[in-house]
Amino acid sequence: MAKTIKIVLIEQAFLLAAGIESLVSELHGVFVEQVYHGSEHSLTDKVLGHKPDMIIINPHAIENQLLSVIKTFQQEPDIKLVGLLSTKAPDNIKSRFAYYLNRDEGKFDLLEGLKKIIGNDLEKPAKKTRILSNREIELLKQVCLGHTNQEIADKLFLSVHTVMTHRKNITKKLGIKTVSGLTVYALMNNLVDIREVENRG
Amino acid sequence: MLIEKDMKLADVLHHDHNLIPVISRFGIKLGFGENTIEEICAAQQLDSDFLLTILNTFHDPLFFADRHLKSFPVGLLISYLKETHKNYLNERLPYIALLINRLTETSSDHKTAYQLLMNFFVEYKKELTKHIEREEKVVYPYVLQLEVAIASGTTSDALLQQVNTYSITDYEEEHENVEEKLFDLKNIILKYLPPTTDQNLCFTILHELFILEKDLNEHARIEDTILVPKVEEMERIINKRA
Ligand SMILES: [Fe+2]
Ligand SMILES: [Fe+2]
Repeated sequence: MAKTIKIVLIEQAFLLAAGIESLVSELHGVFVEQVYHGSEHSLTDKVLGHKPDMIIINPHAIENQLLSVIKTFQQEPDIKLVGLLSTKAPDNIKSRFAYYLNRDEGKFDLLEGLKKIIGNDLEKPAKKTRILSNREIELLKQVCLGHTNQEIADKLFLSVHTVMTHRKNITKKLGIKTVSGLTVYALMNNLVDIREVENRG
Repeated sequence: MLIEKDMKLADVLHHDHNLIPVISRFGIKLGFGENTIEEICAAQQLDSDFLLTILNTFHDPLFFADRHLKSFPVGLLISYLKETHKNYLNERLPYIALLINRLTETSSDHKTAYQLLMNFFVEYKKELTKHIEREEKVVYPYVLQLEVAIASGTTSDALLQQVNTYSITDYEEEHENVEEKLFDLKNIILKYLPPTTDQNLCFTILHELFILEKDLNEHARIEDTILVPKVEEMERIINKRA
C-alpha cells in the first residue's frame, strides 16, 4: 500500500480541473500532481513520467486520440484509469474505463465514488509505529551524543546505510528532523543524560 | 479572491487576517475607516501596485508573484524584505521567547523540559538571526550593486570579481534548514511536551509559531522565486558585458 495517491488529471476545462482538484484535496493523502490539457505533445509519456497511481481523463480533452491514449495507459496494470464522464455519456465510452466518476453528481457522492476507486490502496496511519524500537532508541542516543553516521555504524556494528535507514524511520515516527530537535526529545524522555549531551564535541 | 485596488482595506482584512502583518510592514496604521487600498496608498505615498502584488502573493500561493514582482525595482523589494526582518527580530521572536519563558516560570513540575524547549528556541532564534544578518550584510547589498551596475552600464572590477566567485545557490538550502527547526519546535510542543497547568499559554505559543511559519514561508518564497532568479539574470547580463 502506498502512503499517498498521486493523480494526474487530463482535463482541458479550467473549471472542471479546479473542481476535481478541490474535491481531491478533501481526502487526506490524495493529491493531484499535474493537470494536462490533453493537447500536449507526447502526452502519454509526460503523464506516465509522473508515475501516477491514478489517471483521471475527461474524454473531451483528447477527442479522437482517446482510444490510443487509453490503450497506452492500460499497459500499466498498477495505474487506475478513471473516466470523468457526464450522466449522458454513451455506454461505449463508459465501457472503456475500468472506473468512472460522474461529474453531474454532488460533492459527497463524488467523494464516495473517489474513495471507492481508491479502495485499500492508501496506507492507513498505523498507530503502533509511533513507538521507537530498542534499536532505534539506542541509535537515537548516539545521534544526540553528536556522533556521525560512520561512528555510530562502527560502534553498533551496522552498515552506514542501515544507520541512515534507522535515522529516517526515527524522524518519520517522531516528526522531528533536526539533531537538536531529537536531542530535546531524548532529554525530555530521559533517554540521554544532560551531562553527556553537554560534554559532546 | 483576487485583491484589487478599489477594495476597502478593511474588507480585505476581514477576508484574510493573515495579511495584517503585511500592512503593518508597509507602515499602514489601523483606523483606516472605509478607505480603499488605492486611497490609503495615495495618502501615505506608497506604491499601490507593489502593495497589491505583495498582498496577493501572501493571500494566494497560486498568484504569479514572479511575473508581477519582477517588474518592480529591486530596491523596493529589498526594503520590504528588510521591514519583514525587523518585524521578526524585534517583535515576533522576542514575543515567542517571552511566552516560552513564562511557561518555564509558571510551571512547578517538568521545569527541565520547558527549559529544554527554551534552549531549543534560543538556538533556532540564533540560526534565523544569523541567516537574516547574512542577507542584509551580503546578499542584499550585492543585489543592489548589481542593479546599479546594470543601470549605469559600468561594472567595477571588485563587483565583477564578486560575480565570478559568489554563489547564490547555497541560499535556498539555508532556508530549508531554518524551516526544519521550526517544524521540530511545533511538533515537540504538540506531541511531546509534558502536561502543563497552563494549557492556554501553550496554545498561544503554538498559534504564534504557526503564524511565524506561514509568514517565513512566504518571505522565503519571495526570496527564492524572485530575488534569486533576478540575481542570476543580472549576473548573466554583467558577464556578457565583461
Ligand atoms: Fe529574508
Ligand atoms: Fe531568507
